[in-house]
Amino acid sequence: MRKSLVLTFAMFLVVGMSAISVSAITKKVTIRVEGMKCANCSGSVKKALKATAGVETVEVNHQTQEAVVEYDDEKVTEAKLREVINSTGFKAVNE
Amino acid sequence: MKCKVFLSLLFFLLPVAAAAQNSSLPDLSLKDIKGRQLRLSDYRGKVVLINFWATWCPPCRAEVPYLVRLQRDYRSHGLRVIGITSPPQTFVEVRGFVRKAKINYPVALGTQQIKALFTPSELLPMTIVIGRDGSVQDIIEEILLPEEFEQKIKPLLHKPEVLYQASRGPLNRPIRRIR
Repeated sequence: MRKSLVLTFAMFLVVGMSAISVSAITKKVTIRVEGMKCANCSGSVKKALKATAGVETVEVNHQTQEAVVEYDDEKVTEAKLREVINSTGFKAVNE
Repeated sequence: MKCKVFLSLLFFLLPVAAAAQNSSLPDLSLKDIKGRQLRLSDYRGKVVLINFWATWCPPCRAEVPYLVRLQRDYRSHGLRVIGITSPPQTFVEVRGFVRKAKINYPVALGTQQIKALFTPSELLPMTIVIGRDGSVQDIIEEILLPEEFEQKIKPLLHKPEVLYQASRGPLNRPIRRIR
């Protein structure tokens, strides 16, 4: 009886901790990207961001000149995302 | 029985279909900005990256230093990069950029028609990967990422050049070593 109580408690603890850690590490950021003048251009930004470890979702809109990125902040930082955008020939602007 | 016949037929026809697809590679011939003749058939036995780009395209410009590095580091392994511009583009603009970026591979002024020989896509940059046997191995849309080079291009460089020199395939010309 005591053993099963301990096991149940441990399971709740594990599930609870993992839920907390998942919700805590996924971040969403909107980065303004200068220089995207056409849909063909925005593709390279999206491709480079998607290939970055820790990036979960990417939406790039050349009309609003924005990249919306959901990422795991234990694997990648916002600064790194900006660096990736800059490496595609565009400019991630600080607002 | 019918099924067996069909499967055998399929088994024999698949390589034929693949060969037919490979044979559609055009034997491109154009002059680079230094006036040298560029013929795709002369690159037989090499792994060729035909990079469609433009000076007005930011990702294309950003990609150039990486291509320069690849040409320098993998030339001895049989890699050759060819740059072909997409219009609108003037000779002076391209020549200026080539000098400034110290591009170490041939660059030619291209047209939409030339790009359309390989792909109907209008994306830029675009890199056509041609294997040592002269067939299109891959089309890499947008900026070429280092992991794409590792996964899609580097394995092609491991294939020995000599195997393809005597073969007659899509380009159907004897091999000449160039540059």
